[in-house]
Amino acid sequence: MSNAIKVESPLNYFHGSFNKSSASDSLFNNQVDCDLVIKEAPLSAHLNLRGDANDRNFCAAVAEVLDVSLPLQPGTYQRNGGSSIYWLGPSEWLIVQEGADPASLEAALRESLTGHISIVDVSGGQTCINLRGTAAATVLKKSSVYDFEGWDGATANSGSVVQTTFAKASAAVSNRSDGSYDLVIRRSFADYLAQWLLDAGGEFGCRIEQG
Amino acid sequence: MSANRLPTHTGATIDFTFNGRALKGIAGDTLASALLANGVDVVGRSFKYARPRGIFGHGAEEPNGIIQLGSGAGTVPNLKATQVELYQGLEAFSVNGWPSVDVDIMGIIGAFGRLMPPGFYYKTFMYPKKLWMTYEHFIRKAAGLGATPVKDDPDSYDRLNQHCDVLVVGAGPAGLVAAREAARTGARVIIADEQSEFGGSLLASKQSIDGLIARDWVASLVAELGAYSNVQMLPRSTVFGYYDHNFLTILERRTDHLGLTSAHQVRQRMHRVRAAQVVLATGAFERPLVFAHNDIPGVMLASSVSTYVNRYGVAPGNKLVLFTTNDNAYQTALDWHQTGRDVVAVIDTRRDPCGDMVVAVKALGIDVIAGHGVIEAQGNKRVKRALIAPINEAGTEVIGAVRVLDCDLIACSGGWSPAIHLSSHTGAKPVWDENIVGFRPGESKQQERSAGACRGTFDLAGCLAEGATAGADAANCSGHGEGSTQFPMCAVEAFEEQPQQALFLVPHSKSTSRAPSQFVDFQLDVSASAIELAVREGFESVEHVKRYTALGFGTDQGKLGNINGMAILANALNQSIAETGTTIFRPSYTPTTFGAIAGRDVNNLFDPERYTAMHRWHMEQGAEFENVGQWKRPWYFPHQGESMQDAVDREGLAVRNSVGILDATTLGKIDIQGPDAAEFISRIYSNSYLKLAPGKCRYGVMLKEDGMIFDDGVCACLGDNHYLMFTTTGGAAGVLAWLELWQQTEWPELQVYFTSVTDHWTTATVTGPNARKVIAKVCSDIDLSNEAFPFMDWRDGTVAGIKARVFRISFTGELCYEVNVPAHYGRHVWEALIAAGEEFDITPYGTETMHILRAEKGFIIVGQDTDGSMTPADMNMDWVVGKKKTFSFIGKRSLRRSDMLRENRKQLVGLKTLEAKTVLPEGAQVVFDAKQAIPMSMQGHVTSSYYSANLGHAIALAVVKGGHSRLGQIVHCPLADGHTIAAEIVSSVFYDPKGERHHV
Repeated sequence: MSNAIKVESPLNYFHGSFNKSSASDSLFNNQVDCDLVIKEAPLSAHLNLRGDANDRNFCAAVAEVLDVSLPLQPGTYQRNGGSSIYWLGPSEWLIVQEGADPASLEAALRESLTGHISIVDVSGGQTCINLRGTAAATVLKKSSVYDFEGWDGATANSGSVVQTTFAKASAAVSNRSDGSYDLVIRRSFADYLAQWLLDAGGEFGCRIEQG
Repeated sequence: MSANRLPTHTGATIDFTFNGRALKGIAGDTLASALLANGVDVVGRSFKYARPRGIFGHGAEEPNGIIQLGSGAGTVPNLKATQVELYQGLEAFSVNGWPSVDVDIMGIIGAFGRLMPPGFYYKTFMYPKKLWMTYEHFIRKAAGLGATPVKDDPDSYDRLNQHCDVLVVGAGPAGLVAAREAARTGARVIIADEQSEFGGSLLASKQSIDGLIARDWVASLVAELGAYSNVQMLPRSTVFGYYDHNFLTILERRTDHLGLTSAHQVRQRMHRVRAAQVVLATGAFERPLVFAHNDIPGVMLASSVSTYVNRYGVAPGNKLVLFTTNDNAYQTALDWHQTGRDVVAVIDTRRDPCGDMVVAVKALGIDVIAGHGVIEAQGNKRVKRALIAPINEAGTEVIGAVRVLDCDLIACSGGWSPAIHLSSHTGAKPVWDENIVGFRPGESKQQERSAGACRGTFDLAGCLAEGATAGADAANCSGHGEGSTQFPMCAVEAFEEQPQQALFLVPHSKSTSRAPSQFVDFQLDVSASAIELAVREGFESVEHVKRYTALGFGTDQGKLGNINGMAILANALNQSIAETGTTIFRPSYTPTTFGAIAGRDVNNLFDPERYTAMHRWHMEQGAEFENVGQWKRPWYFPHQGESMQDAVDREGLAVRNSVGILDATTLGKIDIQGPDAAEFISRIYSNSYLKLAPGKCRYGVMLKEDGMIFDDGVCACLGDNHYLMFTTTGGAAGVLAWLELWQQTEWPELQVYFTSVTDHWTTATVTGPNARKVIAKVCSDIDLSNEAFPFMDWRDGTVAGIKARVFRISFTGELCYEVNVPAHYGRHVWEALIAAGEEFDITPYGTETMHILRAEKGFIIVGQDTDGSMTPADMNMDWVVGKKKTFSFIGKRSLRRSDMLRENRKQLVGLKTLEAKTVLPEGAQVVFDAKQAIPMSMQGHVTSSYYSANLGHAIALAVVKGGHSRLGQIVHCPLADGHTIAAEIVSSVFYDPKGERHHV
């Protein structure tokens, strides 16, 4: 028995997949010119955080640990470097920290936070994918009824986020300052959504990359 | 070049076929214009009488040119030839006419048309009732209306969800200027038009605007709109439905005009638009005149004749008789005159027409015969003559001698009917207006306004002015611009017009019932006499007459016939049109393909398939899958040559004799945290969790307020104020919603948070006498001994190098470890467990074996053994109801109701068939007396039933009235095929009744 630990991200089996009319299947995906490029982020720590937004100590402590301020404005996120906090509800946030160990991050937060809070490691249950390219906005329109064009543009450190239906699954969609979009999707729906995106993006050329 | 093509009109040649005949058209043609250019008179047969019919209109109103496009998988039925753009290689067929349009068997029936009054089918073929299916089969075959493709649709379709400030429907003069005014304000604008190019009526107009010929003016405006980044222009896009909250649907035809089938190109796209404001600029339809045999090929709308001449360079005939009630139609005489072909005469029903256009026509020396009507057309497959006669001023009687005019084309115009369909979709009730002789849009029910011809404004200057105002207003109402128009008024030449005559039925020398058929609805062969007959038979409501006569039922939805039909009805009822009212239009405006509505939600994308992290391992092992909610779960893992029964026998024996492994990932998992978590959970489950210590698990059932079981599972205490709740696979989302409901609405004072972790954890269940040995090989930091880690405990540890939670809970009744790891490591740990179990012949098993093993133990499955009417006591699970809980729990009160205490409630028992190998069908009814006469007294039913290889006989769970006190009795299950299976009522626990095996 091999001791190597095999890690499989939710889109593991789709890395390198592409769909484009007239493109030969024998090509490697990076040789295909695509107007929609989907890149799955490397495994990151995803923590669901619950707490009282009116509790200044709570907000301050979260900001202190993550070096990102807790977004209190509905439908927004805050980012600093590899750490992001997405507003999910009046008392609920998603923390994503690239390359972090979820257990250590949870421990650090529990160290600082007091009172009625909840921190749940959901790292294994979801993944973050980035939709980039000239067709990204159109594919979002195919997939969701939300008015993403109605958003103000994102900055490097903040932007908009919405949890909404995406095809027949769900996603937390947010915008980036470079015009691309990030989606946080659930693992069990990842295969379905990958097939959906490849299908919906096929007319523009669409490929899925490993981040 | 084709006979009817005007020499001035040139372009690339396009080859196509119609009913197998090879023909040529020109780029820019519709199928209708190309057929007319080729002199094809008969394009189909009418629905009921199979009369030969030709092209009548030029757009969505066309009633006759209904064709089947293409063949094979991509064939499309019931398209209007007037809306099909010609492409190289196009193949089209008439939908009506069998065996052909020229020789039609139904034509024999048609010759006896007078024998087929309205309601003919109802009256004639109703009896005997059992033969109706036979009649219908032949009637439908003979009547036709296209064939649906029998193969899978090779095209792809999709949907686009759009949002805009202003949606402009229609890109004629009013729509174009409306879009320009709105665009200028920075509002997000979508402008959609059903035609291949923008311009609407201007595409066939000879008028000039701002000093430009209409077509050039359109081109300049389209270019101007194209420069705005906030404007989206959608040609070939029909707005076909207008729904509540300003939600509109648009069908965009993207490749139909190319005739291509490509999986990668989207053939049609449905835009689902949320518009803050809407401008309807949908134009108007010219109204035909109803006279005898007005359906003979060669009778057309006047505006259609002009459109074919001006836009397509096709003169559909040689000798024109123009028949009109208004000035507007005189343009057709001018247009025809310019082709150099003969205008025989203009027949005007009015006494003394003298408007500008009339004067212009007379100036060309064209004969204008006033105070007359065309009372009958003659000819068979083409018009040969028009019979004209003087009619009285009211238009009700022929008052003089009939004259015959030789001609092959009769262009008719009874005025214009606003296209109020979309406004009507919103629920706005159309209002009759005597001045325009038509229905105007009613009071708006949505954020919309109509502009131009669809509002009853028919002159070009008026359309342009209204469009501009509507565009500025719509933008302003959506929060953009000042609300006033910003562009100068367009300059157009004005004509003075005299009032039109309202004439809906042209009198004949004979009475309506005696005259040759005067058709109102061409597609469904509804004549004026049929409407009058319906009234004589007692029909009064316009809605009833519509259904009795089939007026407006065709694929053209009565766009031409409705107004005339309602007016004839009003006259027959001796009431006004306003009193008679109109039928209400509903979506779709024109037929819409199911493909576009379904979009991408087809085949593998029809419903999401949820996979666990081990899904591909299961596939590699050749598992058969079962749908559990949206999850795909392994059902069983057949070896080469094994039947399903063979496989589950082998899997079940392996678990009881050595060790098996199950993917239990799909169970719902909810993380619960907060100081009041234990209190909350205790109110949700029927048993108490207040004293559950960290490291411990407990099984519980949840009841609805009515005391009935709705979910069950294990809940583990993870730490202080921290719990993990397992739910059934199918119940996961419902349970989370249930918890949130009670916390948010009933017990907000309880501090507790819930988070779904179903997707985060992957669960591998290792179960069987050798389970401990398997786990021990991959886990060294948990003391696995029964003393240190007993049944219903859980431990943190490391399994195959991954941090894991291991639970000693069991759904098989065997020694069991449920290993939970974050899903990214799911397959790694699974494969490590498989490798560790190799020496014990570890056997992956699926849901079927899981079901058998738990049934051997009498463990219920909520939703299979319960159906929402079962209490814990019914399930013989009184032990799970906490009697001493300080606070009530959901459903507790209901458990004391008299019906719950009834002794003959259906109660869970085991059934053992007397014939050991006979497996009862699930759902079989249970009776006590097999000889009782039908209807028998149903005493219960079988909820689960299997063959148990471990026991060597069939087992079943059933709910039987008073079953708990009937152990040992024999019951009977009568089956649909007449034979009966006898079984003994036994304990529902078949295997290891003392429950010793999972405690080892």
